[in-house]
Amino acid sequence: MIKSSELDPNFKYEIAKEPGGENIMKCFNCTGCTVGCPVTEIDKSYNPRKILRKALLGMRKEVLTDDSMWLCASCFICFERCPQDVKITEVIGAIRTIAQREAKAGKIKIGNNKPIFDNLFIDSVKSNGKWYEAGVSGTFMLKTKGIGGAIGYAPMGLELFKKGKLSILPHKIKGTNEIKRIFEEVEKK
Amino acid sequence: MKLAYYPGCTLHGTAREYDASTKAVCKTAGVDLVEIDDWNCCGALEAILDKELSMGLSARNNFKAQKTGLDLVIPCSICSHNLSRADTAMKKDEAFRTKIERALGEKYKGVKIKHLLDVIVNDIGIEAISGKFKKSLKGIKAVAYYGCLVVRPSEVSKFDNPENPVSLDNLIRSTGAECLPFTQKTKCCGGNLLMSKQDYAFILTKKLFDEAKAIGANCIVVACPMCHMLLDGQQTMVEKAHNTVIDMPVLYFTQLIGLAMGLSERELELDRNMVPASKLIGSIGKGEANVVVKAAGKAQVAEAAE
Repeated sequence: MIKSSELDPNFKYEIAKEPGGENIMKCFNCTGCTVGCPVTEIDKSYNPRKILRKALLGMRKEVLTDDSMWLCASCFICFERCPQDVKITEVIGAIRTIAQREAKAGKIKIGNNKPIFDNLFIDSVKSNGKWYEAGVSGTFMLKTKGIGGAIGYAPMGLELFKKGKLSILPHKIKGTNEIKRIFEEVEKK
Repeated sequence: MKLAYYPGCTLHGTAREYDASTKAVCKTAGVDLVEIDDWNCCGALEAILDKELSMGLSARNNFKAQKTGLDLVIPCSICSHNLSRADTAMKKDEAFRTKIERALGEKYKGVKIKHLLDVIVNDIGIEAISGKFKKSLKGIKAVAYYGCLVVRPSEVSKFDNPENPVSLDNLIRSTGAECLPFTQKTKCCGGNLLMSKQDYAFILTKKLFDEAKAIGANCIVVACPMCHMLLDGQQTMVEKAHNTVIDMPVLYFTQLIGLAMGLSERELELDRNMVPASKLIGSIGKGEANVVVKAAGKAQVAEAAE
């Protein structure tokens, strides 16, 4: 049961303020996003329509702690088909941004590994200008699956290395100071 | 034709055969590619939902391309999406433009960005490119797999139908190869879930193989390095996870048309694909042997004479 006293009517405005979340209030819950979703097809617990409906109702904590939102594969089918131009893929992104901020502040816990990988990736771009595949993938495996996981990943890494497709060391661009400034600008509130 | 070229991280790593075959095909087609100077990662799928960061990182490359005065071609569908989206925001969203111009100390005018498939099919044109073909690829029975970002969302990628694209199908047919109808052509391969939810990614990938095999395809043709990573790079992992044999070569469309141009397997770096393409290449020119014909609900094997 939904307790109206626990709803946060400002949640939708909070989402609309994040880049990508602007159109959330256009949603009239037609379910077009969900019937075409390839992830919903294999896991009914991921339901973009429900995420949007709950967000619009103001079920802030329930939405932010719903780990299913990390299952969005960013395939943009819902984005393409939405009759209201809600830009659902990007709204999910805006909700993820808020969830990460809350997790960083210690207010919620995120159970899915997706943000761990994404953040390692983004950090490697921040320091090198390009992503450091071997380092990021190895660190992710070690962090999430332990030493066994990292060893399990090694044969695939070795295959790629043998084909000349994986570099042991990171590539650094010349303009890393520019990359740093871009990060500073977009992180400003 | 002279174009600025943004390879993106994968084309210098796991998708290096896409880089090599792109350069080889463009050279044969008379297209000069000028790689932009000191480019950076576009943020890929990992930052795609962190919209401003993704567009900010991408915009720096647009500035680099702007300096060349040329239109920009991108073979990777993710990079192409990210840089195109950034270009639109830099033109239309003043607050965002101000931030990025402040970070980079330059004024943005804009750059025309196109996916390589769009350039080959629409700018060069199928008729002109097929004029460079030296041999028929008859014997290859392909499915065209577009995946997500090559044609979606249509407000960013405007060159084909987002639900039922045909440009890659038409290009494949122009080589003399067969291109089979494929209902999975714009379904997601699960690429963005590969690290965080591998079992789901592999279910999504396997669906593509299931249909491709059921309709008798002997290869899948792609225009995206992420799709290729799943379909080719991870194919043995999908086989292991689902206890099955797939054995399906997956070629970049540049490798396919490179073969039709008579370019060597070495130039097209076909030996760097994880699933060997040798059997497929051996089938070229072999006609229609062992075509499965579905008659009255029963499948029967028809041996067609050469």
